[in-house]
Amino acid sequence: MHPRAGAPLSRRRFLALSATGAGVGAAALNGCALQVSTGVSGAGETITVMAKADDLGPDLVKQAKKDTGISIKRVDYDITKLIAMLTSGSPPDLVRGVGAVDATFYAARDVMQELDSYFATSSVLRPDDLDPVNDLWRYDGKVQGKGPRYGLAKDFSQDSMYWYNTAAFDKKHVAYPSETEPITFEEWLDHAQHLVQRSKGQTTVFGGSYNGLVKLTLMATMTASAGGSLFADDFTRVDFTTPEARKVLAWYLDYCRLKVGPSPVLPDPNGWDGPTYQAGRMAMSNNGYWMGGMIGADKKLAEVSRLAPAPVFAGGPRISACQGGTGMWMPRKARNKDAAWRVFEWFFGEAPAKARASSGWGIPSLKSLRSLMPHQEDFQKRTLSAQRNELKHFSVVAVSPYISGDGFESLFNQAATPAMHGEMSVDRLAGRLNSVINQQIKRGKEQVG
Amino acid sequence: MTVDQASSPAVGRPRPTAKTGRTRSTARTGPSMTTRKHRAFYMFASPWIIGFSLLTIAPMAYALWLSFTTYDGISPHWHYVGLGNYRELMGDSVTWDALGRAGLFALTSVPLSIIAGLALAVLVNRPLKARGLFRTLLYLPAVVPPVGAGIAFKNLFDQNSGAANGALTFFGFDAIGWLADPYARYVLVMTVLWAAGNIMIISLAGLQDVPRELHEAARIDGASAWRTFRSITVPLLSPVLLFQTVTGVIASVQTIMPMLLAPTAGTGGLTSIPQSNYTYMIHVFAEYFALGRYGYASALLWVLFLLILIATGLIFKFTSGVVFYNVDPEAQK
Repeated sequence: MHPRAGAPLSRRRFLALSATGAGVGAAALNGCALQVSTGVSGAGETITVMAKADDLGPDLVKQAKKDTGISIKRVDYDITKLIAMLTSGSPPDLVRGVGAVDATFYAARDVMQELDSYFATSSVLRPDDLDPVNDLWRYDGKVQGKGPRYGLAKDFSQDSMYWYNTAAFDKKHVAYPSETEPITFEEWLDHAQHLVQRSKGQTTVFGGSYNGLVKLTLMATMTASAGGSLFADDFTRVDFTTPEARKVLAWYLDYCRLKVGPSPVLPDPNGWDGPTYQAGRMAMSNNGYWMGGMIGADKKLAEVSRLAPAPVFAGGPRISACQGGTGMWMPRKARNKDAAWRVFEWFFGEAPAKARASSGWGIPSLKSLRSLMPHQEDFQKRTLSAQRNELKHFSVVAVSPYISGDGFESLFNQAATPAMHGEMSVDRLAGRLNSVINQQIKRGKEQVG
Repeated sequence: MTVDQASSPAVGRPRPTAKTGRTRSTARTGPSMTTRKHRAFYMFASPWIIGFSLLTIAPMAYALWLSFTTYDGISPHWHYVGLGNYRELMGDSVTWDALGRAGLFALTSVPLSIIAGLALAVLVNRPLKARGLFRTLLYLPAVVPPVGAGIAFKNLFDQNSGAANGALTFFGFDAIGWLADPYARYVLVMTVLWAAGNIMIISLAGLQDVPRELHEAARIDGASAWRTFRSITVPLLSPVLLFQTVTGVIASVQTIMPMLLAPTAGTGGLTSIPQSNYTYMIHVFAEYFALGRYGYASALLWVLFLLILIATGLIFKFTSGVVFYNVDPEAQK
């Protein structure tokens, strides 16, 4: 391994650093006359927030107490603990969630609090200021993206985009992809094959990674890019045998079989692309704008890094969706709803939101905060320009409320692993996926009623 | 009680009994010795009984009830399915494949770890210099938390930067994808062997219990070291080996080590476990927390519980003739 840009930073460490940065930024920005809620207060109360330490570190907890008068007890995000708390009737007051996959799943099961009445009275989180990405947190009982709001994204990225390392392209004499016009998925895979470097059975440089955030949104988004839809109109079935979905499945299996990037058959022990990309061991990394926070902190890496548009399928529409939209939601049975809303406002619209926006770790979920996105340095200007161009192609790709992201991923990998090894054809896999995933969706539909 | 009653001289005074005319307080001064023994027994045993009831019986009963439902932990629209989950389980090839892998893992890892632990115990039972240090060093891996061991093994066996492939490529061999199929199962067995110190300690205690005079008598009779080990040490250690076999089988079919070897942690890590390490407990975890099938997963656990009971019974049955219990006959009278 030849680190190209300094020592690799572990995910935990750099997320901790970003949280610290957000905390410090929050403290600094606190002096600025911020909009403050004119609605509920909840001062003096204590709320429980289930989040990761990276989302809500000790500095932010202290800052919340100072800014809102509300104490926060943070419990680590853990799905098993969340279900236990929901079942026992003592849920957290706010819960971390991934809007793209969690919003419909929990809303359909009636455990989420509708927040429209809070939004209607808030002077901090005004509906006209909310970025369209927040529609991932809406669900009307049938379709994602419409109906009441159940949560908010803290920031977002268009997760089908990818970063590339120009040094890796130079070394293999491959032309750089455009920063404004998308290449096709076939071209992307072709690049990855040219860029991968191997020696004695070891992959010294991955040609590229393309795994999305979770398989559910990856497959749904890519099928949309191929001009089709993974789900039936009522979201009660998937169909991997349609020409569009089959094309996506075949492409992803090729990606795995060619072993150009991390996959279940070629695992990356880092668990995500950051440290591998930073060490110069990955030529292309399927991550959106948010990874610029890590790249920008490393000047040498920033010099050789470019953000490129989401690839397209030949003849398909240009779609660049957000596959995550991580934020928070409020359980219907939360005990301190007013205080929780006050913290919600503070977290999504006041000092922490401004600190996040200016850190470069994601696109702010409030339009009014866009101007805070970093744009002083060359790398920041270049990245922001590519990102602004890509935002024109943003859309919400809805997923089924009847299956969880983890459930889909588990069934997909279980069924697809033999195919990734070349032991099963695409068509057979498509049939197998239809069978196991539709069975799970059917069960989910019965549970939702 | 009114003030009048309370102040009445009759109240609270011991009454004479009909037969003897003596007061009760003088007739029986307290509970009998047997009662006191029973009471003391239950007082001492009650913390365990309460703990066992609350933390074992109650959850098992709850899981049994869940196994007859379609409960998913969140939705209000669940219903009873009777034995439906058990019927589904019988025809679920994923479940049987996972059980087969767990069985194969038990059949491989238990004998290997017992042999390794016993060999180490024999080694450190010899009069070596710095014997205490060796014992400590060999036992040390057993006290490393499984999460730490998982991270260490992931890094050690990483295809691109792990030390295992570093050694292979140094000697001119091609690197191996240790953490993917089909090699991941070998890494899993190695994690068990690495922590054989636990078995070593128990075997060592057993070895030190073997009467020295038996070894001396064998030596005088001209028996070789191997013959002495085979005919004296192993039979006397057989109860220890039986214990290790039973606990080893139970632990190995319940292992969640594959999850700790997965590239990503937590529920997401489930999805990146190679097929060869997708064992029964991983399947149970996936059904519970990835698919939210609490009813079906509880049925899986109950079936596993029954299979473990059967396996344990079979082990006892088939080893009853070869396990030697060195019990004082007088003490059994």
